Order: sequence, then structure tokens, then C-alpha cells
Amino acid sequence: MKRGLEGPAPEERPTPEGRRNKQGIRIDPEVEAKREPRRTVISALVKHEPGVLSDVSALFSRRQFNIESLTVGPTKTDERARITVVVEEPDPGIDQIKKQLRKLVPVISVRELEPDAMQRELALIKVDADDPAQVSAVAEMYDATTVDSSPETATFQITGSRQKIEAAIETFSQFGIREIAQTGTTALARGTEETAAPISATESATEQSTQQEYPADDD
Amino acid sequence: MSERAAKITPADADEQDDEHLTDSATPDTAREGDADTESETTPEPVTNGADAVVRALENAGVEYAFGVQGGAIMPVYDALYDSDITHVTMAHEQGAAHAADAYGIVSGEPGICLATSGPGATNLVTGLADADMDSDPMVALTGQVPTEFVGNDAFQETDTTGVTTPVTKANTFATDSDRVGSDVSEAFALASEGRPGPTLVDLPKDVTNGETDREPDTPETPDTYEVQERADPEIVAAAAERIENAERPVMLLGGGVIKGNASEACREFATEHEIPVITTMPGIGAFPEDHELSLEMAGMHGTGYANMAITHCDTLIGIGTRFDDRLTGGIETFAPDAELIHVDIDPAEISKNIHADYPLVGDAATVVEQLSEAVSQSPQATKWRAQCQQWKSDYSMAYDAPEDKPIQPEFVVEALDEATDDDTIVTTGVGQHQMWACQYWTYTEPRTWVSSHGLGTMGYGLPAAIGARLAADDDQDVVCIDGDGSFLMTMQELSVAVRENLDITVAVLNNEYIGMVRQWQDAFFEGRHSASDYGWMPEFDKLAEAFGASGFRIDDYDEVADTIEAAIDYDGPSVIDVHIDPQANVFPMVPSGGDNGQFALTEDQL
Repeated sequence: MKRGLEGPAPEERPTPEGRRNKQGIRIDPEVEAKREPRRTVISALVKHEPGVLSDVSALFSRRQFNIESLTVGPTKTDERARITVVVEEPDPGIDQIKKQLRKLVPVISVRELEPDAMQRELALIKVDADDPAQVSAVAEMYDATTVDSSPETATFQITGSRQKIEAAIETFSQFGIREIAQTGTTALARGTEETAAPISATESATEQSTQQEYPADDD
Repeated sequence: MSERAAKITPADADEQDDEHLTDSATPDTAREGDADTESETTPEPVTNGADAVVRALENAGVEYAFGVQGGAIMPVYDALYDSDITHVTMAHEQGAAHAADAYGIVSGEPGICLATSGPGATNLVTGLADADMDSDPMVALTGQVPTEFVGNDAFQETDTTGVTTPVTKANTFATDSDRVGSDVSEAFALASEGRPGPTLVDLPKDVTNGETDREPDTPETPDTYEVQERADPEIVAAAAERIENAERPVMLLGGGVIKGNASEACREFATEHEIPVITTMPGIGAFPEDHELSLEMAGMHGTGYANMAITHCDTLIGIGTRFDDRLTGGIETFAPDAELIHVDIDPAEISKNIHADYPLVGDAATVVEQLSEAVSQSPQATKWRAQCQQWKSDYSMAYDAPEDKPIQPEFVVEALDEATDDDTIVTTGVGQHQMWACQYWTYTEPRTWVSSHGLGTMGYGLPAAIGARLAADDDQDVVCIDGDGSFLMTMQELSVAVRENLDITVAVLNNEYIGMVRQWQDAFFEGRHSASDYGWMPEFDKLAEAFGASGFRIDDYDEVADTIEAAIDYDGPSVIDVHIDPQANVFPMVPSGGDNGQFALTEDQL
């Protein structure tokens, strides 16, 4: 008996000209450029209840989104917390992150911040205090505050952009860094703009990231 | 019990006695009494958290619950004892979850399953994941060790909300006896509103035992949960224009069409504008497969004509589908010339896998009505329809079945279809038999196809048949088309079907292989049958008899029709062990990640 079904074989069938890229977008294969990941900040307003942070972090690992940092903290209202996530993904991935976050029941609203948004981190840097004068000079250069000092060590607090903190760490390293503790990035939109204003489902579905890489936030 | 009794005040005790009197009345009298004296019937007052949990279910109109008893869930079961909700004790919690899932598919209302803490809860996980992948409405209630023991690795303690977070739409850990009823109400609302899915409430024993007289709130989703019903009118208008100008339009109906009760609206739209219709696997039943415009299912084992049409269309109207890889094959070659109009209630599905040129977020029925109003002229697609008909004859699903050879499975599926009415519900396990059940049964009604699509859970069929049976109308038949491997995974649930005397017919397409794996090994692993060849199977007809079900066996073609008739006619659970051709394969086939238009019709084309 014949196994399988009758009909024209694959090579006898017509095939369409078109193609889609990996993101499912119809393309001209000749001109399609690969989409590069970019770094961006996403802010989410959430209900301040147990399990929210674990829901959010589980979502990132489950869907294989790359995150650089994730911070959470209270807001002006007791019942709400703000989660700030720095991600590095190509545009379609960034869109998915926003949409998937919005699906979580305790999540109130989600926005990707504009490139000019205010972004700050805090670092505690503990260095050897063998050369106090030099150490203070560097601290002053980065507006660092002395938090603790002992005959052997000095600990400084630095706030600012990621770039500034990285630069400070680099400079402090000449004295011998004993330990560092850093927060992730937390951020707010500038001016009267609401950082994580709610949007409609259609806006959520059609919103497409075409923002540029965040510039260095010098301050 | 003693704990509860101790808390009852003398006044309460009198009421308690009255309740017992009501309980001792025969069910019929009680029901008549309820109907006659509706205004006088006040429900018994809530006395503890468990009462509130059960009251929340009653308020939501729950008729059946599926579950297994156990230590931490005992207070809830004690409250169920006095309820009109019929509890079906399953053999295993996985069975409870699948039964509740199928109940949800057939009835359209969330199915309810219960389990105790620890192993009870972890046994539910497969069923939760299954419901989550298929967006089936379901509420799971799990017992938990008392709050003061949580985190101490107490006996039968598991971090249930932690374990189930990735496989539920939402879950919650109850912390307050006064709130617990409302937690369950909210879980019920969340399971069914918007895109459906499984929800879970974890119930520590002290919370369910704790005193409260608080009635649960009515089922409502939290205010952070918003569902958009109507799509953006501007995008609707643009999509309508695209449809009017389409030369090669196709409608692709997914499971969301059935869940959103949009089958009727889609049928009207397709027939009015004469647009060929394809379904996904969960969309089976959304459009009658005996209709001229039906091209049936597309995808890995879809029909050749559906796969040709989806590959060559210029306008694809996808409704309630998430463009799963089993449907699309390789993304690069999926409907590469088509502009996509994507209707979905979940914004996160838009442009997730396939870019939507016209994203329409909203309820399927509402948006199809919107489109219907916006489309003023049908697309000029006479040539395209003729092409689709040509493909239907070029790639016919006709199979070879010589009488002197072992029984071909397609023949058995067709014989079962012929022996039953159009509204018969089919459930399946996962594997070759499931694909034959898709391909060779002609589905005409929504909610008659009950299967494990996204998760692909072997063993789904029998417990699903139990849930489907209880949700179905009495005159509807329920047939489980199963595989030998799938049946072995959950066949203990046959004990439930016998105990509850449920009229279901299980047809095991027995090839003594994990057939789909064997087929792949033949195609892609040089025929090395690693761990797929059972070589021996129990006699399922005799096993069925041992359970108290009716057992049948088929070895030859001439036994097929009569045996099927006898099994269907049997008033109770029956099992037919059908010994099919062990070498039978499922075609057409698009290999994983392949080009839908290049489907193989025979093994050498793979």
C-alpha cells in the first residue's frame, strides 16, 4: 500500500517571492539590516503588595529579556511602588517587555522613558586610606560624600549617572578598592510629563520603539 | 469538626440544627422547595473562611468542582459538604485540573479544581500550564499549611504561588479570613474576563478555619485589570479598506474566536464576503469544516490546501490566534506576501511573532462586528477561491486503506464521526491520534473539540472527557480519541467515570508505540526507535472491564462499525482497544521550523 498522501511534490509547487525577518516583519531580504539591541529605561507603577517584585523579575527571566538593573521603591502613595528597569534589547523586544509587564495584574502602568529622562544611581565605595589627601581630592572631584572613615579605610557615597559612577570607580581604583555596593538606576521623566502614565490597549499594541540610544547623562 | 463546633454559640447551634433538617430532605423536595419559596430561602450564614470560599463559588454559579481531598484543604471540603456544588473526586490532581479545564472549554465558564498543599498542588501544575497555554478559564484552590508554618518546610508544604506563577494568569496567597471569599471571587472573575486563563488561590488552613461572617464580594477584576472590547475605529477602517481591495484574502480563526463566542459573527463575515477560512488547532469548530469556504486546519499537520492558501494569501485576517510555531512553521516563510489584520484581546499578542499591519485590540465578536460594518464591498476574489478549490482537489486528504492490511487510523476516526451526531464532543491525548482526530473528523460546532494544544499534554484526553461530559448537554455524546501512550498516563481516571457512571466512549488507537516520536525517529533519526517502542501494551478492553467499564477490542476492518456502535450505545464508560497499523504516519507534515508551502506528503519528501 502507498503510505502518505497524493499531490504535487514540494518542488513542483509555486512559492511566493516575499520573506519575513526574525521579528515576523515582511522584508526585502536585500536591504534588511539586523536590529541591534539598545539600552533603555522602563518605569512601571505597581501595586505595593507582596509578590510583585518576584512576578516582575520572573517575567524577565522567563521571556529571556536582558536587564541591566531593576530597582523598586515607594512612591508618594503608600499603596503604590515604582519599579525602574534598565533593559538592553532590540526594539521589538522592548515593545514586548512593555506589553508583557502591562499584563501583570498588579501592574498599574508602564512607560519607556525619553532619552532625556533624569537617571540616577548611588554607589558606596570603600577604599584604602593610605593617602588621605589624594583620596579626598578624588572624592571632591566627583562630589562624593564621606560616609565613614577609619585609619585604614574611607567610604564615599556617590550619586549620579551610571557613567559618572563608573568613572569614579575607575579613578578610585588607584587607591585600592575594598568593597563596592551599588543601587541600580532609578529615573523620572522631566518637567510636567508623568513618568508612567497609563495608556490604552490599542496604544500599547501599536506603540513602537524607535528611540535612540540614551546619551550619557552628564551632571 | 470539633474545632468548629467549639466556636458555635448557643444561638448558632440552633441554626445549625435547622440546617441539618434541610439537609435530610430528599434532593428533589429541597429543589422544589427552593423554587416555590425563593424569597424565604436565605443561604446559611458564613461562619469561617472555608464557608466564604464555597459561598464565592456558589455566588459565581459553580455547579461542579473536581478535586482530591487532603490535610490542608479539609476545611474547604468540610464547607463543600453542605453545598449544592457537586464535587467529583478524581483519582489524581492532574486529572482534576484537566477535567476542570475541559469543563471550562465546553461550558465557557471557569472550571474549578481543588487540591491539598504540597503534592496536591504540584500535581495540578501540568493542568495549570496546559490551561495557561490554551487560555482556558479555570480556578484552582489549593490548601496550604497554616500561615505560622509557612516557610518552615512543614509537612506537605510547597511554595505553591511561587511554583505556579509562571503557569497561571494570576495567583494569590490568602492572608485573611475576612478577605478569602473575595479573593476567590476575584480569581473567578480574572479567569474568565478578557483573555481567559487559569487562576489560583492558595488557602492556608488557619485562614479557611478562621472565624468570619463576611460574605464574599461579587466577582470583579481588580481596578488595575482593564480589557479593551472595541478596536480603534481608524485601524478598523484601514483594515476594512484592505479587505475590500484584497485579491487573495484568508480568514484564520484561532481559539480566541471560540472563547469569545465569535464563531457566529465570523461565519457570517466569511460567507457574506466569500472569504476562505482556515482554523488553527484550538480554532477547530469555529467554522464548519463541511462548508465550501473551509480549508480546515493549517500548520505542521494541517491540510495541504490550508497551508497553500496561508502561504499565498495577500491579506490574512487572523482572529484570536497567537501565531504559535506549530502554525507558522519558519517565520521567514509564513504568509510572506500577506498584510496581516490581527484581532486579539491581548495587546501583547499583537506583533509578538508576526508583525501586524493592522493591529485590532478588542473582543473577537465585537471587532468582527466592527469590521462587518466597515466593509462595504466584498473583495474581488473569484480567481483566488477557484485556486483554493483546485488545491483542495490537488492535495486531497484521501488515504489508502486496503482491506487485507492492518486497520488505518484515519478510517477509525471517520467511523466514529459517522456513528455520532454533529454536536458530539471529541477529546484527545497528544500525538499521532490527536492529529488524525483533527484531520479526519469533520467539526461543525464550536466547543466540540477539546484538546491540549499549546502544552501538548499526553494523558489529557480521559480526564478531559470527564469534565466535558459534565459540562455537555445530556443528549450530546462525548468521545475520547486516545493513543495507547497517552491513555496509560491518566487511565486511573476511568475509576471516576465508572463511579460517577459517566457516558463516555474512549477509543484507544493502539500502535504499541509513542507513535509521533517513532514517526520523527524514522524521518530524522535514521529509524533508531529509542524509548518509543513499547512492544507490549496491556489489554485495554480487559483493563476497562476490571475497572467496571465496558471493554471492546477491534483487530479487523469488519469489526469497526459494529463495535463502535455498541460502545457508543453503552450507557456508561466504554473503552475500545483499536489495534491499528503500527507503521501508520501523519501527513501532510511541515517539519519543525519549515516552510508551510513545502509540506511533505510522504516520508521521502521530508
